[in-house]
Amino acid sequence: MKRLNKFLNLIVAVSLVLTLLPLSGCGKEEESDAVVLRVANWEEYIDEGDWAEDELIDLDNGDIIGINSMVDDFEEWYYETYGQKVIVEYSTFGTNEELYNQITIGDVYDLVCPSEYMIMKMIREGMVVPYSEEFKDASNENNYYVRGLSPYIRDVFKELNIEGESLDTYAAGYMWGTLGFVYNPMEVSAEEASGWDLLVNKDYYKRVTVKDSVRDAYFAAIAMNCYDEITDAAFTVRPDYHEALGEVLNRTDVETVDAVQEILTDCKDNAYSFETDSGKADLVTGKVVANEQWSGDAVYTMDQAEEDGALLAYSVPKEGSNLWFDGWVMLESGISEDSRKEHAAESFVNFISRPDNAVRNMYYIGYTSVISGGEDDTMFQYVDWTYGVDEEDMDEACPYDISYFFEGTEGIIYTYEDQLSRQLYAQYPTLDVMNRCVVMECFPDEANSRINRMWTNVRCFDMSSIFNKD
Amino acid sequence: MKNAIFNRKQLAVPYMLFLLLFVILPLLVVVYYGFTDAEGHISLANFIGFFANPRTLGTLIYSLVIAVIVTIICLCMAYPVALILAKGAYARKHAFLMVFVLPMWINFTLRITALKEILTLIEGNLALYPFINTIICMVYDFLPFMIMPLFNSLTKLDNSMLEAGADLGANRAQIFIHILLPLSIPGIISGVTMVFLPAMTNYVVLDMVYNSTYIMGSLIGSYFSSYDWNNGSLISAILLMMIGMFTILADRFTMEKEA
Repeated sequence: MKRLNKFLNLIVAVSLVLTLLPLSGCGKEEESDAVVLRVANWEEYIDEGDWAEDELIDLDNGDIIGINSMVDDFEEWYYETYGQKVIVEYSTFGTNEELYNQITIGDVYDLVCPSEYMIMKMIREGMVVPYSEEFKDASNENNYYVRGLSPYIRDVFKELNIEGESLDTYAAGYMWGTLGFVYNPMEVSAEEASGWDLLVNKDYYKRVTVKDSVRDAYFAAIAMNCYDEITDAAFTVRPDYHEALGEVLNRTDVETVDAVQEILTDCKDNAYSFETDSGKADLVTGKVVANEQWSGDAVYTMDQAEEDGALLAYSVPKEGSNLWFDGWVMLESGISEDSRKEHAAESFVNFISRPDNAVRNMYYIGYTSVISGGEDDTMFQYVDWTYGVDEEDMDEACPYDISYFFEGTEGIIYTYEDQLSRQLYAQYPTLDVMNRCVVMECFPDEANSRINRMWTNVRCFDMSSIFNKD
Repeated sequence: MKNAIFNRKQLAVPYMLFLLLFVILPLLVVVYYGFTDAEGHISLANFIGFFANPRTLGTLIYSLVIAVIVTIICLCMAYPVALILAKGAYARKHAFLMVFVLPMWINFTLRITALKEILTLIEGNLALYPFINTIICMVYDFLPFMIMPLFNSLTKLDNSMLEAGADLGANRAQIFIHILLPLSIPGIISGVTMVFLPAMTNYVVLDMVYNSTYIMGSLIGSYFSSYDWNNGSLISAILLMMIGMFTILADRFTMEKEA
């Protein structure tokens, strides 16, 4: 019995040791010459393939369909083009903060795709490495990103200055859009939906949703707070209108934050909910009449509602809106001067920026690519394929000008009238809309803690509200 | 037990390791972060900040009020059910009990989604009654956690005690107050612990019924997502202290009763 006892003890001890061993040695045997590229992107933010046959996009430039995932196609393309094996370790994140937290507690990635303010924060904290000169060389056939980037977006990136350097030194754009309202035109008039004060409009008491995110709520509130100032005729005709608007909508001083707290408290009382995901469904089922939403999600919501036979519309409020974008940055901690990794990362950005691939991603996720295609007009063809009128309806076609984005093409889509306030408008707003859109920058640390405190105050329970109920 | 394969100490090893790694260590980390500032210096600033801000204090009180109401309703609903199940002359007691505990087998977000549809039919617009809906959904969610411990302590109760009480002339109310209730206190306490604390922190329920006001759980989440680990940990530490005090008080109470 004693021997068995010892034997069992040994088993217990060994199994305990085994469970505590780090799991490092367990991965698949990697070929020593393959480059491993660790990519982190938003959930459901890239073409994952497996399209049905009837989803084929037949453009004049050729058919486009997603059979394999974009990541698999990249691995194959990279091997064929450069004769080098690359293995992409693809993972996803849910919020910018989650990604940042993961990186700070030690997760290592080579290429990540956060939003504009997080990119600025990462640049400021020295976490990212600049793109190489080769990446910016437009004479190289394979540099699809620089060759295809829309001139409009290029200018936006050039103007954004972080610590003396423009944003495009460190970041390559992916998707972009605006912040606005998806609304039910049967319930809410276009006029009412064209102001941020829809959120505090008592006619829609408990029937409008606000984004449950400090920055998106703050933006709407600050636009309401400065309504008189920024919609004043003298202000809107200023030669430096766009810069001045950017300054106003990026205010973080104590007075502004206090005023925003008041406004957001009213929003909280008036709104249906602060939501992150439930708003789309509640709008489609008719529980609410409007959502504060990003343009890409707006397109998705309108598509969904259409399947249920309801027509929804999108608006970008007249005070001004947020031009947001997500972009690719290479992380210092991952790349760490490994030129093979850097090349693979830059090639990944180039590959997904190739016009046919940009079309695949756009079709799959519903957001708008920063790529206009340059000399290649595939992107423009795709927009026309999606929104252009059928030939027999030509007499009711409305011209829609997006030449600011598609420089070098005719730039005008002949579309159906309803698209002027629906998916086409959400994906590619007109230039006069873009003129009132500004990038909401990364708040300085001190302002950030002030704004977070304000947000906590708005969301926490206000005991005085018990006593002064009207 | 000379010939036992393991002695007691060896049997305790796996759980002790688990306890150390996943319970004690994280608690120490939470307390450390709660009482330091962003630079890692020991500081009471977070603690004072929490109690000096009427809004965060308001949320503590709001959470407490929700938790107290939910617990009382659960107790009032669960006690009669548990009593009937435990003392009634049913052939299939445990089958009946299962019917009450069955909802626990389904994920609670699913259950609340279903309940939301029913409430929408009754109320029209859910967002008009955030507080009442929160209470209804939490009661729905936590009721089985109250029934189970009450049922367990009531079934163990010796029927001869009740008979003795009746023989000595006590009426039904007196039997309940002087015999049944005191003897089921341990069950009540474990039921209350299982309902009260989750009710203070389960913010998913509030999100789902469109209650935009934070409770303690949502406050922790919001601090962590704005990289404020110190304040987030502090709120957790405050909840920890409340749990600690509650457990100590409950222990005292049961010991006095038993003495």
